[in-house]
Amino acid sequence: MVYDMILPALPFIGGYLFTYSLYRMDLIKKAFHVNIWNFIIGAAFLISGGVGFILLLFMEFGVKLPINPQLLYWHVELGVTLALVTIFHFHTYWKSSKTMFFPAKRRVKA
Amino acid sequence: MMGGLTHKLSRDNLKSALGKENIKSKLEKIPLKEKLLLAASTIPFIAASTVSTSCATTCPYGMVNDPFPGQCSRYMDVGGDGICDFSQATPVTTTEAATTTSTDDTTSTTVESGHGNGANTEGSVPDQPDTNATVVQDSPGTDSGNLGGDGDNYLVMPISMLLIGGYLITHFLFKKGILKRNKHRRIWNLLLTTGYLGSGGTGVILAVLINMGIRTALNPSLTFWHVELSILMVMGTLIHLHIYRKPFRNMFRVLFGFKSNSRRRNPSRVEGTSK
Repeated sequence: MVYDMILPALPFIGGYLFTYSLYRMDLIKKAFHVNIWNFIIGAAFLISGGVGFILLLFMEFGVKLPINPQLLYWHVELGVTLALVTIFHFHTYWKSSKTMFFPAKRRVKA
Repeated sequence: MMGGLTHKLSRDNLKSALGKENIKSKLEKIPLKEKLLLAASTIPFIAASTVSTSCATTCPYGMVNDPFPGQCSRYMDVGGDGICDFSQATPVTTTEAATTTSTDDTTSTTVESGHGNGANTEGSVPDQPDTNATVVQDSPGTDSGNLGGDGDNYLVMPISMLLIGGYLITHFLFKKGILKRNKHRRIWNLLLTTGYLGSGGTGVILAVLINMGIRTALNPSLTFWHVELSILMVMGTLIHLHIYRKPFRNMFRVLFGFKSNSRRRNPSRVEGTSK
């Protein structure tokens, strides 16, 4: 089975650029733009993680169903989406992400 | 004299401190929530003990009679029979002439029934410097694994319990004021990032390898770490949702107009976006 890596990512890249530009042009609120992508990352996580967990359970209990390859396919495709939207999530919360990786320097009294 | 008095005093103090009523009254003073948190903080230790047992006994990939050089970096062949010890029921030692059997009757039965795959070992058994037949004693620590081994392949429960216990500890410390809010969040955000990067990275590598039709000895290792880091990712995400539960609730309010039961906060603050 061959997995599409670029094709499912394109609508999400386009969608993020679209809502981001709408927010920058003050056509939508920042909260709306942020929450749309938080919802998308949540949905991708639920589906990809849920399917992954089901596959893990099937493997643990030795369950072999004809639907397994399909489940694996959608797990991979939504995993790619999840990885991409995670990058957008970092972009949205870049300020707090930056302090997570590089702690803010203590202010020195003059 | 003084020493005896001090000794008696300290003994009396200890007796009164360890008295049934004293302990009972002290325990009653502790709120239920704290009691629960303290009880939950023992989870990591239980989980850690489970990890060490399950790691040591079976092949994490559920392989049976994995020949030399093995499918993963954990290949270990104490017996020198050319088959990974983790993938077989009992490690055995071979000589040029024959396979030795243990003194134990049950073990020798297992060996005979479990190693019928001569094709795998042919040509791959390394030369033995010691020509004397040795007998391997069964130790309970390495022989308690199951051949089917599917239940212990991925450490789902131990890792989940470790993470939940860890979160409860840091949450308790944060509530007590010992740990700062920023530090508490930073710890869990970093762990979550590690989980996402690791899981996503290994997942993408695996997908690329499958697409290109490359099968390497690293594949089982990658799959193993993909699963383990995904557990970290999933548990980290659930913890992340708990830490940022207010913005999470606001997300539904902003997108779908659901009313939030949370108290009204400063109206000048932009809700649902701050971290």
